[in-house]
Amino acid sequence: MSADEPVKSAKTEGPDWIEKIWGFLTSLKLVIILLLILSALSIAGTVIEQNKPLQEYYRYYQPGTVALFMKLGLFDMYHSWWFVACLSLLALNITACTTDRYRGIMAGMQKKTPILDEKISKTLQNLTTIRYALPLDAVEKKMVELAGRGFSGKPVVTAAEDGVSHYFFEKGKYSRLSFFLTHLSILIIFLGALVGSFFGYKGYVNIFEGETVSQVETRAGKIQYLNFQVKCNTFDAEFYPSGAPMDYRSDLSILQNGKEIIRKTIRVNDPLTFEGVTFYQSSYGGQPDQITIDVVNKDGALRGTVTAPFGRKVDIPGVVDKVEAADYQEHFHLPDGSEGGRAIGVNIYPAKGGPAGLWLLVDHPEYDKHRGGDYYFRVNDLKLKKYTGLQVNRDPGEILVWLGSIMLIAGIMLAFFISHKKLWISLRTDKKGRSELTIGGTANKNRDAFAREMEQLIQSLKEVSS
Amino acid sequence: MTNSLLFGIATFVYFFAMVLYVSYLAFRSEMLGKAASLSLLGGVVVETAAIGMRWYESYQMGIGRAPLTNLYESLTFFAWTIALIYLVLERKFKMKTMGAFVAPFPFLIMAYASLNPNDIQPLVPALKSNWLISHVVTCFVGYAAFAVSFVVSILYLFKAGAEQFSVKSAGSFLGFLPPSSGLDEIGYKTIAIGFPLLTIGIVTGAFWANVAWGTYWSWDPKETWSLIVWLIYAAYLHARITRGWRGKRAAILSIVGFAATIFCYLGVNLILSGLHSYGGAS
Ligand code: HEM
Repeated sequence: MSADEPVKSAKTEGPDWIEKIWGFLTSLKLVIILLLILSALSIAGTVIEQNKPLQEYYRYYQPGTVALFMKLGLFDMYHSWWFVACLSLLALNITACTTDRYRGIMAGMQKKTPILDEKISKTLQNLTTIRYALPLDAVEKKMVELAGRGFSGKPVVTAAEDGVSHYFFEKGKYSRLSFFLTHLSILIIFLGALVGSFFGYKGYVNIFEGETVSQVETRAGKIQYLNFQVKCNTFDAEFYPSGAPMDYRSDLSILQNGKEIIRKTIRVNDPLTFEGVTFYQSSYGGQPDQITIDVVNKDGALRGTVTAPFGRKVDIPGVVDKVEAADYQEHFHLPDGSEGGRAIGVNIYPAKGGPAGLWLLVDHPEYDKHRGGDYYFRVNDLKLKKYTGLQVNRDPGEILVWLGSIMLIAGIMLAFFISHKKLWISLRTDKKGRSELTIGGTANKNRDAFAREMEQLIQSLKEVSS
Repeated sequence: MTNSLLFGIATFVYFFAMVLYVSYLAFRSEMLGKAASLSLLGGVVVETAAIGMRWYESYQMGIGRAPLTNLYESLTFFAWTIALIYLVLERKFKMKTMGAFVAPFPFLIMAYASLNPNDIQPLVPALKSNWLISHVVTCFVGYAAFAVSFVVSILYLFKAGAEQFSVKSAGSFLGFLPPSSGLDEIGYKTIAIGFPLLTIGIVTGAFWANVAWGTYWSWDPKETWSLIVWLIYAAYLHARITRGWRGKRAAILSIVGFAATIFCYLGVNLILSGLHSYGGAS
C-alpha cells in the first residue's frame, strides 16, 4: 500500500547463492504462489475426507488407491510432511520479508523532513500557493487552526534564515507498523499452535454422578494425571418437546487434598478452567446400576421380586436358578428389526447345565412372556447411573493464538483504514508585502480520499483572505 | 407468522427494485433511477422489519434467539447485506448503472430462501452462544462485500474489453457503465472491506469453536474453505498492493475468490459434510 516510496532490500553481503536464496525468500511472487498452493492443498483436504477409519476408505476407493494415498499422507494431510513444509516455507517467507522491510518501514516512520524544499515540492501534486492581504501572524493563527482539524497535535515549526516559516503536520505514522502487525501475527499464531501441540494435550474422561477422577486419557492413548480431582455432582440433559436436545449440564467440583476449591455447572459453550486445564461438556450416557424384576408365573400370578445389582448373580425367589443382569443397550433392535428401546441382557444360571441369556425390555415390561417357560421376568424398575463425558484440554499455546489473532485484525484495520499523512505549509512575506502561504501534502494510501481532504483544506484556507 | 409475510413483501419489493434498475439501464431516465434506489432501500427497510419481527416472534415462542442460524435465515440475511452494501456504495461512488447487475441478487437469493423450511426451530446447545451473532454477521457482511466485488469485476471485464476494441458503445449498456478504471477501483475497495470482516469472522468462529468444542481449529470442511477464501483474497491483496496487479488479472482473481466464497457458504453444506451442516434436512 505504501507504494509511494520503493523500499530497497536490505543489502546482503556474501556469496551469490546466499543472495539468491534471500531473493527467493523475500520475493513477493513466492508469497502469492504459496498462498495459492496452500489453498489448493486445503481443497484437496476437504474433498478427500481426513482421518477416517481405514475401512471407510476401502468403501470409496480401490485398494491400490488407498495404499497410494496412505503413502502420500493424503488421509491425514494437514499433518503430512509436505503440508507442514509449505507452512514452514510460509513462515520463513514472512520472516524474511519482515526482516527485509524492517529498515525501510522504520525509516518511513521516523523520517521527518519538516521543510517544504524543492525536492519535496516536485513530488506533490496538490501544491498550492495562496496570497493574503492579512498580516502574517493572523494567517498563521488561522492556518494552524484549520490544518489542526485534520492533523491533531502541534506542527513542527522551523524558521529558516530567509524569513520563511515552515510548518510540518503529520498523522497516522504508526499505521506503517501495520505491516509488522499483520505478518508477525501469523508467525505468533503458528508458534501458538506449535506450543499447544508440544506442551498441551487433549483428553477425554467419563465421570459417573457422585464419582471423582484424577486422571484422563489423552487422544494419543496415554494416561494424563491431574494435580487435582474432578467430581461430577450431577448431570442433566434437557430436551425440547420435539426431542431435540436443549441443554446438557454437569455440576462439577474441583477438589484438592479433599477440599472443594471450585464448584461450577458447565454446559456446552460454558466450560470450566482450572490451573490451565479446561473441561468441556462433550457427551453423556448411562450405565445400569440396579434392576428390579418381578418373577411372574405362567398364569400371571406374582411369584416374587428380585433386585439385582448390575453384574452380580442373585437368587430368584421360589426357584433354584440364579439371575444376573450383565448387559445394557440404549436402543435394542428386536428380531424383526424394529426399535425396542432400552434393554437389559440377563443371564439365567440353572442349578444344572450352562447359563442361558435373554433380553428384557424396559419399555415393554411383558416382553419376556413370549419366551414361554414356567415363569417369566417383568421389568419393574431400572436404576441408571448417569455419567458425563468431558473433553479435557490443556493448551498453553492458546493465549499466543488469540494474541496473534488480535494483532492480525488490528494490523489489517490499520493497513486498510489508516494512512500516514504528511502536510507541509510554509509562510513568508512576498515582494509586494503580502502574506504568502504554500501548502502541499501526501498520504501513503487512500489517495483519493486524501485528495478530497486536501481540496477542502485548501478551499477553506483560500476563504480566509476574504 | 408476521415475519413470513414481511419476508414475502421484501422479496416482492426486491423484485420491483430489480425491474426498475434494469429499466433505468434501458431508458436512462433519472426518475427511474431514483425510483430504483428508493425501492431497493424500501426492500431493505421491509426486510429489516422482517428480521426484527422474526427475532421478536422467537421470544414469543419461548425460544428467543437471533434469526441467523439455519439456511433460510442465513440466505435472507445475505440478501439483506448485499442490498445494503450496494446502496452504500451507490451513494458513495454515484454509479447507479451497476444496480441492474447487483439488484437481481437480493431478489434471487430471497426467492431461493423461500424454497427452504422457514419455521423457527429452537437451537441445539452448541449454537447457544453470544459468539453466534458476531461470527455470523461478520462472515456474511464479508461475503456480501465479495459478492459486490464479483459483480463489479465481471462488469470490468466487459467494459475493459469494449474499451480495448473501442466498440462504439453509444447504444449498448457498456457505454453507460463507469469507466473501467473506476470499476477496478470499486472491485478493490469492496474486497478491502470484506477481507478484514472475513478475518474477524474466522477468528470469532475459532474462538467460539474453542469454547464449544475445545478446539479452535479442527480442519473441518467449513473451516478449511473459509481459510481457502481468506488465502485467495490475501493473494489478491498482495498481488495488487505489492506487484501492482490491476485490471484483468485482479478481476479474475476476485471472481475466483467469490466462487470459493459461494462454495464455502453453500457447496460445503450441500456437497461436503461437517460440523456446520445447517443445510441438512433436520
Ligand atoms: C497468510 C499470510 C499473509 C497475510 C494474511 C498477509 C496480509 C497482508 C496484508 C493485510 C497486507 C496489507 C498491509 C499493509 O499494507 O500494510 C499485506 C501487505 C504486504 N505483505 Fe503480506 N500477508 C501474508 C503473507 C506475506 C508474506 C509471506 C510476505 C513476504 C514475502 C508478505 C509481504 C507483504 C508485503 C511486502 C506487503 C506490502 C506492504 C506495503 O507495501 O505496505 N506477506 N499483507
